[in-house]
Amino acid sequence: MIQQTQYTPTTTKYNFPQSALQDTALPIRFIELSLRSIKNIANQDATLLYQPYETLSENSDSAEEITPVFHGQTKLRLNFIPLKPLPEETPVVAIDVSSIKIGETTTGILLAIRGAIVWKKQRHYHFLRIGPFPFHITEENKQEIYQLFRQYSLDALAPNTTSAPSLIHMQTRITTLLERWLQMNIATQSQNTLILWDGSLTAGTNDSPTHLITQLLETARNRLNTVLAFTKITRLRLSGHRLTDLIEKCKPPCLLEMDGYPMTPSNNIQFLGNIYVAKLTQGNCSFRLDIDCKLPREQAVEAIQRLLANDQLSESYPETLRLAHIYSTFTANEVIAIQRLLSQTHGIKTITRPNIRRLLFGPFGKGPEGG
Amino acid sequence: MRLYKKEGNTVHILSFPTENIEKGDYLQIEDPKQNRALITQVIDVQFANVPGILEELLRDSTNGENTRLNGQDFDPLEVSSHITFIQDSCLLVCKIRASLDSGKLSASSAWLPSRSQSIIKKLPTSSLLNLIKMNHSLPIQLGQTKDEASLNIDATSLDGKLNIVTGKKETGKSHLSKLLALSLISHGAPVVVLDLNGEYAHLGYGADGKKNEYDTKVNVLTPSENFKVALAHLKLRVILNILIHALNLPGTSAREFRRIWQFLDERATLTLHELGEAIRNWRCNQHVRDALFSRYYALLNSGFFTDNPSESLSLEDCFQRIRSGGALVVNLRDTSLVDRQIVVEYVLGKLVDLLTQQKLRAVFLFAEEAHLYLRETYWDDIVTRMRHFGVFTTFVTNQPDTIRENIYRQADNVFLFNFTNEHDLETVSRAAKVDAETVKSIARDLPSHHCLMLGVAVKDFPMVVRVKALNVQTMGQTRLFFKAKN
Repeated sequence: MIQQTQYTPTTTKYNFPQSALQDTALPIRFIELSLRSIKNIANQDATLLYQPYETLSENSDSAEEITPVFHGQTKLRLNFIPLKPLPEETPVVAIDVSSIKIGETTTGILLAIRGAIVWKKQRHYHFLRIGPFPFHITEENKQEIYQLFRQYSLDALAPNTTSAPSLIHMQTRITTLLERWLQMNIATQSQNTLILWDGSLTAGTNDSPTHLITQLLETARNRLNTVLAFTKITRLRLSGHRLTDLIEKCKPPCLLEMDGYPMTPSNNIQFLGNIYVAKLTQGNCSFRLDIDCKLPREQAVEAIQRLLANDQLSESYPETLRLAHIYSTFTANEVIAIQRLLSQTHGIKTITRPNIRRLLFGPFGKGPEGG
Repeated sequence: MRLYKKEGNTVHILSFPTENIEKGDYLQIEDPKQNRALITQVIDVQFANVPGILEELLRDSTNGENTRLNGQDFDPLEVSSHITFIQDSCLLVCKIRASLDSGKLSASSAWLPSRSQSIIKKLPTSSLLNLIKMNHSLPIQLGQTKDEASLNIDATSLDGKLNIVTGKKETGKSHLSKLLALSLISHGAPVVVLDLNGEYAHLGYGADGKKNEYDTKVNVLTPSENFKVALAHLKLRVILNILIHALNLPGTSAREFRRIWQFLDERATLTLHELGEAIRNWRCNQHVRDALFSRYYALLNSGFFTDNPSESLSLEDCFQRIRSGGALVVNLRDTSLVDRQIVVEYVLGKLVDLLTQQKLRAVFLFAEEAHLYLRETYWDDIVTRMRHFGVFTTFVTNQPDTIRENIYRQADNVFLFNFTNEHDLETVSRAAKVDAETVKSIARDLPSHHCLMLGVAVKDFPMVVRVKALNVQTMGQTRLFFKAKN
């Protein structure tokens, strides 16, 4: 029996879905922290929330891709690997996390975060959505919030030298940290599973420390899971050629393997996956695909072939990952709903800031505020 | 509820799921600072244009028992209830019916209530009726409104007025017209019903088949049975109208007929027999004689005319009987088209004569599906000339396009039942008593036996009423083949 925790009169009792996630510590702390941070605004004299102009521009994809430079080859050589679906029953799990700025207060920003896990088992898709959790992040509480995420995201293993980022970067940072926590949960609970990530296996950035990604991949590997990371938009080039264009000549499903080894633009950056370009179905799209580099090449190719047999693919993109993105993404109505929740439970009113660009430039005031 | 937009006399109000507002409801938009209020009526309920709704519906469409995607939400803060609340919020399209300035009603809607300060509340029918100060000296109880308020109109609001009862089949038009007729009788008014289907013949009997309080007041006249007339009772004008309009007698022949009639009248020998003899012996063109003979036999075969004084009915006596409350139901059932026109021409002609001679004060005429027996020229006559004589007509029809546009424009009261056909709605919306949008939007969704009332009877505040049941044998039901077999 799980202890039913009542946090506030407005937060009813809940049962965390044990079947999907065993480690419930972070979600519980999440709720506590979320509520505490919101109360923090309510306690301020002016409980006004300024509606951001960029409300609907989500930041989940904002992390800029670090593209490798391929060395060790004198001319462009393309190694195409034809693929064939491998019809062996293999579970497929995808994880995605979204966050959105709900508004600004006089002391900080208010954002909401939500994660989604979608898995396909025995020809049926299932999902678990976690959140949304609204957070009020200020200069005062950002360190506490950041430390919580680090603590539950294995980031705590690293020496605690980094302080919380600036408020502007907090949104991206905590989004990534929640994503890593979900990825770790899935890696430890699954076995013989294809785990799909949104993004790459590039490590060494503030959002993706090397030790963390390494451990995530190792945990997955030890439980016979395979991590496949899909990057939706890539600038991957080889000798000036966009790789996703070069694969057009290949008959799908196929992989394009780089002949050479990738060099990073910085000493800190490490590519923990082998980088491929995947064109898995007919259509216009192909994606950068990173597969754990510690896996033998044959096993990596076999994982893709299992994916072909075990998941639906549309425009070369796996359905589980597409659904995870859809289920985590915020709609405009959800933003209004969160603002309404805050208004009803904490008396926080949302008002629209004067549109500076419109004020200054009239009809020429374009951009995020220009409308 | 929050005031969202005002364009002309249309107001858009944002309403939330708990508020339960429906079409036809009245809302009061009160601006406390200006000490004024707008009285508006909801004519349409739409979904609010919520941003992102399409994405949410598409997303949810993949989630459900019948799909291959199942899942759960860990939503401890219960944001989803707020999402549902916003998704289900609606936009009320309302028409301004009046303005309330310091407690006094006025038609002006030139002012704008505050969007942020206005208080919007539902106006119960009872409060609305108090506001518009309906006269109830001669009440006619029509039924109940949606909020269970009893709705009475005053009989004086039908007095001197032109009324239309319309709606598609089996929505309760005849039921309402019977209710109006019986209520007028109760208040001592004389009523004439041109009963196409014999539906009013049993108004003097209760639903249990026993005689009711109207038994002595409802006089059913069935042509060629208990309703026959002697030619001597007809005025030349009336018989000429019958010959020209019902029997299409050409002008030349009509002139000869006039001479024959005057000849017989001078000799006090106006009988069917003498008329036939006179036509036979009259010195005239053979074609004219043939034309007159064919009409003569039409009159003869109708069975409506008689030379037997004991069979002849004095319509004047009948009208005298209903002077202080009663109905003459002219049962036109099983009567051919031509005979029907002959009878109606006679009844209306006689009616105008009696009214002109001040022998009758006024009469309420109920005409069901009038296009089936009323000649073209009578329509204008009824709404203009005959109205001044004291014939106050209520047209009852399920084919609104059979009533001319000018009749709709001049109608004082329209009792509108459900219509779904666009063409019918378009026709009815020409009634000048209300805007076309109200008619089209509300009438489309009226349940059976619910009526949208427009006009002076409700002081131009359109109201939806569920017409009350009548304890009379209505006889309006269609005879069924399979029901009899079972």
